[in-house]
Amino acid sequence: MVLNIYKFKVKAFFGAFRASKASIVLLLAYVIGFLPSVFGFSVMITNAVRQGVYSEIYTEIIAAAASGLMALAILLALRGYTVFEYEQNFIFTSPIKPREFLIASIFTDLTSSLVFANPIFIICTIVVLWLNLSFVSALLIFSAIVLFTFLIFFLKISLSIIKALYRRLWVNALIYILIVILLLPEISFFTDLPLKYILMPYPSTFLARILIDGLYNRVTHPINFFSLILYFLLLTMLFVLSSKRNFFPVTKHVPFVSPFDTTMRVQTIKMERSIKTFSRIGIFFTLNPESKSLLNFLMKKEIIRMIRDGTLFTVILIYLITSFVTAAVSARPSEGLSTVLFLTFFLGIYSLIVPLTLISNWRFSDFENLWIPLSSSADMRIIMKAILYDFVVTSSIVPSILILILSIISSINPLLPLTLVISTSLIGCSATLYVIIKFLGRKRRGTPSLLIGWASMLFSALLLTPTYILVALSGFIELNNIVNILSSALILIYSALIMRYFEGKIEKNIANIEI
Amino acid sequence: MIPIIELIDVWKSYNGTQALRGLNLEIQRGEIFGLIGPNGAGKTTTLKIIVGLLKMDRGIVRVNGVDISEEPFEYKKLIGYVPESPSLPDYLTVEEFLIYSGKIRNIPGEQIREKINYFVKLFELEEKRRVLIVSLSRGMRQKVTIASALIHDPDILILDEPFIGIDPVGQHVLKDLFIERIKEGKTIFISTHMLDTAERLCNRVAVIYGGQNVASGDLKNLQQLSKTRENATLEEVFLKLMEEAKEQIVEEPIEKRRRGIFGPLGRR
Repeated sequence: MVLNIYKFKVKAFFGAFRASKASIVLLLAYVIGFLPSVFGFSVMITNAVRQGVYSEIYTEIIAAAASGLMALAILLALRGYTVFEYEQNFIFTSPIKPREFLIASIFTDLTSSLVFANPIFIICTIVVLWLNLSFVSALLIFSAIVLFTFLIFFLKISLSIIKALYRRLWVNALIYILIVILLLPEISFFTDLPLKYILMPYPSTFLARILIDGLYNRVTHPINFFSLILYFLLLTMLFVLSSKRNFFPVTKHVPFVSPFDTTMRVQTIKMERSIKTFSRIGIFFTLNPESKSLLNFLMKKEIIRMIRDGTLFTVILIYLITSFVTAAVSARPSEGLSTVLFLTFFLGIYSLIVPLTLISNWRFSDFENLWIPLSSSADMRIIMKAILYDFVVTSSIVPSILILILSIISSINPLLPLTLVISTSLIGCSATLYVIIKFLGRKRRGTPSLLIGWASMLFSALLLTPTYILVALSGFIELNNIVNILSSALILIYSALIMRYFEGKIEKNIANIEI
Repeated sequence: MIPIIELIDVWKSYNGTQALRGLNLEIQRGEIFGLIGPNGAGKTTTLKIIVGLLKMDRGIVRVNGVDISEEPFEYKKLIGYVPESPSLPDYLTVEEFLIYSGKIRNIPGEQIREKINYFVKLFELEEKRRVLIVSLSRGMRQKVTIASALIHDPDILILDEPFIGIDPVGQHVLKDLFIERIKEGKTIFISTHMLDTAERLCNRVAVIYGGQNVASGDLKNLQQLSKTRENATLEEVFLKLMEEAKEQIVEEPIEKRRRGIFGPLGRR
């Protein structure tokens, strides 16, 4: 029974992948795209270990990341036990027992995690091989990762069931307290308070110690491994107890979400929820039929959409996190990296996510509505222009404001980060919108959004190469201000030209969309 | 008289499925024309080709005498379209959506306001005027879509299952509105499964099956063509025509196209 449900769930998760032939090519691009990062990370870790520079900060960082994962899993439990509609309709109406369903669910989650988290396993394998670690060290590293993974699954499932069964205040309080306890030592990154992960008896701390000791080929204290096992056993017991209860009638159903799922219906349901949440803020803005310029009118309409479906909030959140991390680093100058370099490095990594977020949300929220202008005599070129301009404005203004604030607080020259952000915005938005529209042709419509997004990010990053080169040069070789300003201007002209090129391509392709 | 909509030998296929196989249709100005057929007969595909949401593989479509392949935008000024289960911008209010529909058709602001006032009253949407579309029921969404299709007072109204989800009072209002428009010399092209409605409302009907026009005309013509009794209902005529069509139309495999590296070669 468990195996049958597992197969069913895995097929549901990956099923949509077969909808388009392009998926295979894009999956390959996903794997290849990760290779340089996998290789880079492996080299970085191996070199650090070979140089023999052991620092407690490594244990602290790994423990903090693992605690963050645990806190996220606990936070998700706040929703209660959620299932997909098809599970409620087809599985819960069969004679399957809750525990059988839970075991099948854990293995499905593991299978799907393996697909997306495979770079982590590849990095671990490369590092173990390059460092020529002993069999015991390698075994300890892998066992600790597997134990910790199951530990997170058991924790999340047990708390979700408890939350679903007992909708009381104490459950919420328990969840929040656990999250606070887990995240509290993060304060040590920003202050000198002696509240460090390495001093705490957390499962994440034991995991971090085992990993670091393993990497340095040192014999880890048995207490680390036994403590992790103890936590694992405790949570297994909690899982066994909670899985005895019939939680099927108290589950909440959520729209089926698979990264390979291409059905717009699902994404539309998700968007409907966001609209209901965010529309209260955006309802203050409205459209004016007397507006003289159609382009301005359409741009305003897009801005209203971005406010009301939560897109703008997501963009602000992404950059707030970036600013928060940068501010945290600049508060610890002793770590060696200059604020401007760190900010630029961080922006380089994350700023491409913003155009993708903007365009993906537009796709889910508004693409199906294109039948309205397409079946009218509306000029599609103006409509697409309004969308593109709004994306560029949003993805450049939000971070620019944050960069300017940061530059004032930290007294840094904002030229480099600003050039990077504006160039990324011009190239990223236009190239991503073009790729998405290209993939919306009927023949490729089945291609999963995740893979299209990945391909468009790779494509944009390729076009951004001159920008990255300039930023790297300016960062590491101290160029004088005039050269910096001139080269930034050149980069912005190059970016504007690329955007203009894609604008033309989008205008041509939009007429070929079939809805 | 030139037909207001004319389809000549229209073919359309989706990946591996032949949706239309040489469809011919003629719709005259000032009539309510019904398109009926079983599921998968090609009704929605036909409407979408006319409004420019799908491209035909071959054939000719003329709207008001203009070949839409040669002039793919201007003719749309004459058209108002209501799809089956339309997707609407949920993040806009009813009023904002109607303003958007009017603006993209270059209608002056004042006229848009007048039309909005008229339609929200007609469809009893006054209370929902400033409510987000996401909160509307299916029937209300349908009414809003119809209002948006009529905002520019089009000569041709193309409707795909327009009565689905609308309450009986709303359906009555809608039928009166259609009759009113016909009196003004406008044309209405409806695709529907509701045969009794089609019988009462439409001047002429086309029955399609397997992407082909099996029979078209008024009820009298159809009764003769199907050799049913003199006072046979449209439903009886339809069932008889379907029986005959199933025997006559043999499913043929879709013509395989030669494929090059970058896609199909030698498109028809």
